[in-house]
Amino acid sequence: MNSWQKLACAVLALVLGASLAANLLAPGGYAKQYREATNAPPSHAHWLGTDDVGRDRFARVLYGTRISLLLAPAAALLSTLMAALIGGLAGYLGGTWARMAMAVTDLFLSLPWLFLLITARALMPLNVSPQVSALVTFMLLGFLGWTAAARVLCTTAGSLRSSDFVRQARAAGLPGQRLFWVHVMPNLRPVLYAQFWISIPVFILSEANLGILGLGVAEPMPSWGSLLKELEGLVSVGEEPWKFVPLILLVVVVTSFQLLLSRQEGVAA
Amino acid sequence: MSSARQNQILLSAQLSVRYAGKQPVLRDVQLEIQRGEVLGLVGQSGSGKSTLAMAILGLLDKKRAQTEGTIRFQDSELLQLSEHELRALRGRAVALVLQSPLSALNPALKIRTQLREAWRAHAAGGTTECANAIRASLQSVSLPADDEFLRKYPSQMSVGQAQRVLIAMAVMHRPALLIADEATSALDVITQSEILALFRDLNRSTGMAILYISHDLASVAGICDRIAILHRGEIVECGTTEQIFAHPQHEYTQRLMAALPRILPANPQLQAKTEAAAAR
Amino acid sequence: MTRHEKRVGEMASAWGKAIAVTVICLVSLLKPAAAQGGGELRFCLRTEPKTFDPLKVEDDASAAVRYLTGGVLVRVNRQTQELEPELAQSWKTSKDGRQITFRLRSGILFSDGTNFSASDVAYTMQLLMDPALHSPTGDAFRSGAGNVETKVISPTQISITFSAPVAGLDRLFDQVAILSERSPKKEMAVLGPFMVADYKPGASLLLNRNPNYWKTDEQGRKLPYLDSIRLDIQPNRDVEMLRFKRGELDLINSLDSEYFDKLSATSPQQVHDAGPSLDSEQLWFNEVAKSPIPGYKKNWFRSANFRQAISEAINREDLSRIVFHGHAQPALGPFSPANKFWFNSKLRPQAYSPDAALKALQAEGFRMKNGALKDKDGNEVVFSIITNAGSKIRERMAVLIQDDLQKIGVHVNVVTLDFPSLIERMTQSYDYEAILLGLTNVDLDPNGEMNVWLSSSENHQWNPQQKAPETSWEAEIDRLMRAQASSSDAKKRKEAFDRVQEIAVEQEPFIFLINKNALSAVSKTVHGAAPVILWPQAFWNAERLTVATK
Ligand SMILES: Nc1ncnc2c1ncn2[C@@H]1O[C@H](COP(=O)(O)OP(=O)(O)O)[C@@H](O)[C@H]1O
Ligand SMILES: [Mg+2]
Repeated sequence: MNSWQKLACAVLALVLGASLAANLLAPGGYAKQYREATNAPPSHAHWLGTDDVGRDRFARVLYGTRISLLLAPAAALLSTLMAALIGGLAGYLGGTWARMAMAVTDLFLSLPWLFLLITARALMPLNVSPQVSALVTFMLLGFLGWTAAARVLCTTAGSLRSSDFVRQARAAGLPGQRLFWVHVMPNLRPVLYAQFWISIPVFILSEANLGILGLGVAEPMPSWGSLLKELEGLVSVGEEPWKFVPLILLVVVVTSFQLLLSRQEGVAA
Repeated sequence: MSSARQNQILLSAQLSVRYAGKQPVLRDVQLEIQRGEVLGLVGQSGSGKSTLAMAILGLLDKKRAQTEGTIRFQDSELLQLSEHELRALRGRAVALVLQSPLSALNPALKIRTQLREAWRAHAAGGTTECANAIRASLQSVSLPADDEFLRKYPSQMSVGQAQRVLIAMAVMHRPALLIADEATSALDVITQSEILALFRDLNRSTGMAILYISHDLASVAGICDRIAILHRGEIVECGTTEQIFAHPQHEYTQRLMAALPRILPANPQLQAKTEAAAAR
Repeated sequence: MTRHEKRVGEMASAWGKAIAVTVICLVSLLKPAAAQGGGELRFCLRTEPKTFDPLKVEDDASAAVRYLTGGVLVRVNRQTQELEPELAQSWKTSKDGRQITFRLRSGILFSDGTNFSASDVAYTMQLLMDPALHSPTGDAFRSGAGNVETKVISPTQISITFSAPVAGLDRLFDQVAILSERSPKKEMAVLGPFMVADYKPGASLLLNRNPNYWKTDEQGRKLPYLDSIRLDIQPNRDVEMLRFKRGELDLINSLDSEYFDKLSATSPQQVHDAGPSLDSEQLWFNEVAKSPIPGYKKNWFRSANFRQAISEAINREDLSRIVFHGHAQPALGPFSPANKFWFNSKLRPQAYSPDAALKALQAEGFRMKNGALKDKDGNEVVFSIITNAGSKIRERMAVLIQDDLQKIGVHVNVVTLDFPSLIERMTQSYDYEAILLGLTNVDLDPNGEMNVWLSSSENHQWNPQQKAPETSWEAEIDRLMRAQASSSDAKKRKEAFDRVQEIAVEQEPFIFLINKNALSAVSKTVHGAAPVILWPQAFWNAERLTVATK
């Protein structure tokens, strides 16, 4: 681990720690509306000012970070597992299975992603708590985000299938599912790691994008998406620089993930 | 070779194989392996040796390779067996050792895991039995059976060690037949002779038959009882090692002989014959 | 929402005498005058105009083109809200409200030089009322079965007779741009101040001044002053704003309060707040009996006391102050006070009082427990408000309402949906609990809202298409709305509609929240601008605007 990566680790730890301690750092909570002080600049009471309806931006950043930083890895895990199962298994079984899985993947890739998410969200029951909506949003992202990785895994698993060691293991009498789990899967691990680490920033950004469309995490719960939405229509940086804190935080966190990712790839190689 | 053993036929095959959309790779190949014997199968690369080995183990992709004929092994007809029955046979009654130990061992798994999986494929015993079996098989190939060694990954071993691990894995269940497909071709000369010696010892001590496949006539000479020559999908000649070296009948065998380095075999009489064949 | 076509009752008396102005027009029969140096006015259409045929207009963009190019017999003055003569010098509606007779100006030419006469009006009316055309403008005239009868009395006189009385008949002609019967250029031959000169689909539309336009100003100068109008098709408001700031656009209509404030910070003389408009934002509950929501929730939503309590617990002042930055007024009822004639001036603002709301709910059997309100059967009062995704204004309103209602223990889930799914739930599946939406109202006359108030109507949003009115108050509204529609006595109509407004405020099927102010931006280079609350706000007097060339 080089010093940059140490720094990245420290940054992530700090951000995660602060967001987990949100209750202590911002006791006012993320939903309280200080209606007499809307759109306020930073002050002692509100370190990052307040938003359009007078909610403390610092509290919202902390709680939003908690949501994005906890749920994005969960979604990444889901999509990685799905990619492993669908891509890996299809590749390992080969033939018709691989063709079918690739057809499904192609279909998934060609589907209008955003439209699908919007439809999926529209089909959800209306009375769900913001917490559940946050969870569902990220799980949807995870559920839809497996395709690209599945392609890679399918090809990798396909080449593993005809590899000497799988043939050797078959000749030793191992049953099919042992071959898959014991011999194929461990060799997909580097790809899976990469997929997992890449997905985290991707999902954070996707939720931010959905949030900008008003389709992410439900009010009053904050997420990086809803915080970034404030930047919409902001004409110049100089005007209200504190509004950029969520953006800077997003960039810093995503960069940190990238730095760690390059380390993971180094290990895998 | 006792005459009693000679009469016991372990495997007798007569088969043709063609891959989808291609000329047949094996054409009515007839092969007999007797209990406890070492049969060499020699042919240049692409002649169909591996295909034959795979066909015996039932490992050819059924959709892409069409196999016809019979393979009698012990009391069963292999081509009639279900995948399930074949699996029970693989590694237990018939084992395989592949050419390159580095690619035949899973790079992502520890030696222990790979041996354990091989053992568990045919044994229901607990961890102690497993550990004992692993130890015994490693000892039989003269490898250390300690924890440090078992924790190693293939990349942390020498090629020779890795090949021994493969052989240990193959002999774990005391198969009646071991198929070594170019098991020594990728090795340097010294390791090659060590492994050859190991095969010979195992053959002697356990009495398992070996189908020793190689493209190199020289390497089979020292170990095989009999040799079959495979040329363009057909067995063109089959006889005892002495016969083959002394009186190669087929033109192709003669050419193979001619290509041999002269210092081999050790028998000067044979060498003279070989030179004579080469001169012709 | 939908564009309501104007329906105006016969109100010759109430709206002052429609003075038969006999302007002596010095009709220029000379060759088209050269450019007057009035410059070019540039602004944005937010969507592609769907048609240039004035009879088929449905969308705002097409309506804007029709307003600028079409010549009409009479025009509602967007400032005074009164009806004024245009191509017709005078008109007279029959007692029974079925017939109208126009006296037309003479010597007027279409933009292509063809003569205008009564037969063109007859031709236009026949086309308009042809059922096969499905003209939304024509629909406004259709109160009964049967065809329209047109009788050309002389080249300058025509009478038009309908099969049934049409309420507010004369005002409806504000939307009827007269087509030429004989011009080979069909609808491209116009009588309005401008004419379509160039159209680049998806990009822009250029209107040039109509050299044959008949009107002159008080000094006898030919109108319009402008040489041309360039309309860029630009759906993105941010881009529109940016281009305005760069001086590439001259005006912006229906400006967001946020943009308004930003602009007014830098150039206060360029923004105009014309006061409360006809547009309202409202919240309503699902009262559909067969809707797939739980029965106990239906009971709440169908209770007037519940609806009133919710209404009372919403801080409208804060909505106006925080969401609209003060550029909105708490709504008093279905009609904005901006509607000078029809607004019921006896209506008072809804007081904001969470305590009173809670008391009222407790009287209904609701109980507050640990900060959560429960009904008499112990069901926690939780409901969702859906609104369209991407509307910042509504999202913020919803967040404020969510917080307001939390104070009386009512838990609200805010859901933003894409517009098609919202409409699907609202009109097809009825699978919603409450909706927050706005109603764009371009119509002064209550007849335009007939489809909202009649219980049998599809647009009776809270409980549409009732076979028979399910409540006595809806029955009463039905009766009053029908009475005002069939009457040609403006005073009686006003009485009836005043009562409708009172019932609406008592029952609150729609919880009216605010009326947005009509905000617009007009560049300093534009002279003569006087933005009004009625559509088309800043360019209603386009024919009298000039743009100083730099
Ligand atoms: N899976 C396969 N599909 C099609 N053709 C194959 C396949 N495997 C081997 N062959 C072909 O069969 C022939 C024999 O191959 P192989 O049995 O591997 O020969 P050897 O082991 O003697 O080198 C070769 O020409 C090879 O191209
Ligand atoms: Mg081979």
